Amino acid sequence: MDILKTENLKSYYILEMGTEKKEVKAVNDVTIGIHEDEIYGIAGESGCGKSTFLKTICKLVEPPLRMVGGSIYYAVDGKYVDVAEVKEEEFRKLRWKYISYIPQGSMNALNPIIRVKESFKDFFTAHQKINDEKKDFEEPLKQHLSALGLPMRVLKSYPHQLSGGMRQRTTIALATILKPRIIVADEPTTALDVVAQRAVIQLLKDIQKLQKNTIILVTHDMAVHANITDRIGIMYAGMFVEEAKTEEIFENPLHPYTRFLIASLPKMGDKSYKPSVPGTPPSLSNLPPGCPFHPRCPYVMDICRKERPPLVETNTDHKSACFLSSKEGLQ
Amino acid sequence: MNKKDNNPEKEELIRAKNLQEVFVIGGGFARSRLLAVDDVSFQVNKNEIFTLAGESGCGKTTVSKILLGFLEPTQGEVYYKNKFIGDLRKWEEKKEFMKEVQSIFQNPFETFNPLRKVDSYLCDTAKYFGMMKGKGDKKAIEEALQSVGLGMEEVEGRYPSEFSGGQLQRISIARALITKPSLLVADEPVSMVDASLRMSIVNLFKELRDNHGVSVLYITHDLATAYYVSDRIGIMFRGNIIEMGDVEEVLMNPKHPYTQMLKQSIPEADPKKKWIERVSITELETEEYMRKGCKFAGRCAFIMEKCKDHMPEEIFVDGRMVRCWLYGGEKKE
Repeated sequence: MDILKTENLKSYYILEMGTEKKEVKAVNDVTIGIHEDEIYGIAGESGCGKSTFLKTICKLVEPPLRMVGGSIYYAVDGKYVDVAEVKEEEFRKLRWKYISYIPQGSMNALNPIIRVKESFKDFFTAHQKINDEKKDFEEPLKQHLSALGLPMRVLKSYPHQLSGGMRQRTTIALATILKPRIIVADEPTTALDVVAQRAVIQLLKDIQKLQKNTIILVTHDMAVHANITDRIGIMYAGMFVEEAKTEEIFENPLHPYTRFLIASLPKMGDKSYKPSVPGTPPSLSNLPPGCPFHPRCPYVMDICRKERPPLVETNTDHKSACFLSSKEGLQ
Repeated sequence: MNKKDNNPEKEELIRAKNLQEVFVIGGGFARSRLLAVDDVSFQVNKNEIFTLAGESGCGKTTVSKILLGFLEPTQGEVYYKNKFIGDLRKWEEKKEFMKEVQSIFQNPFETFNPLRKVDSYLCDTAKYFGMMKGKGDKKAIEEALQSVGLGMEEVEGRYPSEFSGGQLQRISIARALITKPSLLVADEPVSMVDASLRMSIVNLFKELRDNHGVSVLYITHDLATAYYVSDRIGIMFRGNIIEMGDVEEVLMNPKHPYTQMLKQSIPEADPKKKWIERVSITELETEEYMRKGCKFAGRCAFIMEKCKDHMPEEIFVDGRMVRCWLYGGEKKE
């Protein structure tokens, strides 16, 4: 059973400028399922709708962003719950306890004028009753931090005293203290140094092993995906164009966009020429007809200019949205 | 082997000699000096891509600012074509230096004013450096745009918001190329560019070196592209260059324990090569800067007694420079 699934999910930024109305189709008809107990990676370039997709599945939709169609389901206690039907007060109970969201740049989310411990306390009291401070708050906090290998000194520090990597790890610890079933992390390693990045990945892996929950990880860095994820979904222009196990994506990419993405990765010890993807990404407010990748695709066919290829299973556990690999294209 | 230059046939273009930059942090009794850059010496040769790599806060941007003349070094000198740039007093001389050494910045979206058309930047540069002969002479601009794979008609009359990050970065490189410089100083030029377009910028540097004889000082934290593009590399750590030499040597067979750790920490884009060992990171960034001896001593697996009090000097071994007591050198008493 999938722990989270979406059906034909569409969310657009609707901008009204005078009489002109502009729709930015940031999430455009997405149907995917995310399994329990896995690390699911979402890859794609900036402006392809990755972050908007995460916001939508976490029900953090605020104007100008609007969810215009489709549905999102969470599996809560073995039953699917339609997220759109859950009232905001009800949803607040799910947030952080069932689904936890680590936004982009979260390392700057800690209150700069209070000690880290106070931030943890703030957060804890909002979601759980504390009768005895020592037993209900300090003990589980210490347990949590030591399980994640974070030093206790962090609690007594102010955020500015910590390095970027340590701050990021602290906010991840904060987001996971209530042991949520789903952790949604948006670019948690961007803007960090390589060593700190590695420490953060290590931490996310540890949390997943310890709590047996699901992590949805968004990053544009394919190397990070290779290192941590079990399955990867590739996003392009608001759509999922390919989805498969991580090894499969790297070894046998089907969609031309994914192939370019994998082929352009520089590797140590390999100085051979690496091409870049030709052309430029399309504007989400003015998508080309048919397949959104067709203006950049070297294998473009007539059908690609007219119809949008659906995301279908082409090999076992390997979905791709391309007429090259689906049956319609071969005919 | 005690030789500074391992490529004697190559001609030196710019040389930094014992650069030091001190920032004062705090005030009153808490006032302390922070050596952001300490004893940094390197050179960029003609027709070569030299990389300065390191984590954020290691001083690489400060070095680039000193080279460009935006920042006065506390100590040390920069020589361009064997001329001390501190001696450039006359405006014409300074302008000549600016014409030869151009820069590209990290974020192409911040480089351009969103309310100004991008071609106005190109025209300004061309006018300022006298690359326009007569009104409406856009030959220099067109040539520069061509060498980055763009055409005048794609750029003319358009605003920055109409371009993607990769295109804007290419335009900003074209702007730098108008004056026909011999050195480009590129500070993290690809970190804000999409993954699919990143290689187009890096490949462009290679092409500029091979076909136009432009040298590039490539400043980055991304060792994978550094390996791909550069000829020589210097690894910086907390204000010092701790290892420097041929890119093949330094990155494929690192000697300094920090370079070794840095190399291991790069995630490889291969799901079969996942990390197994664990790393530890520092909590306090300034703590390492304040260290008396080797700045890496707190995290080093091979720490010795003398590392704690004495900064290793430049030791030349196997055709490269490495600052580590493991490879010999007498401590100064």
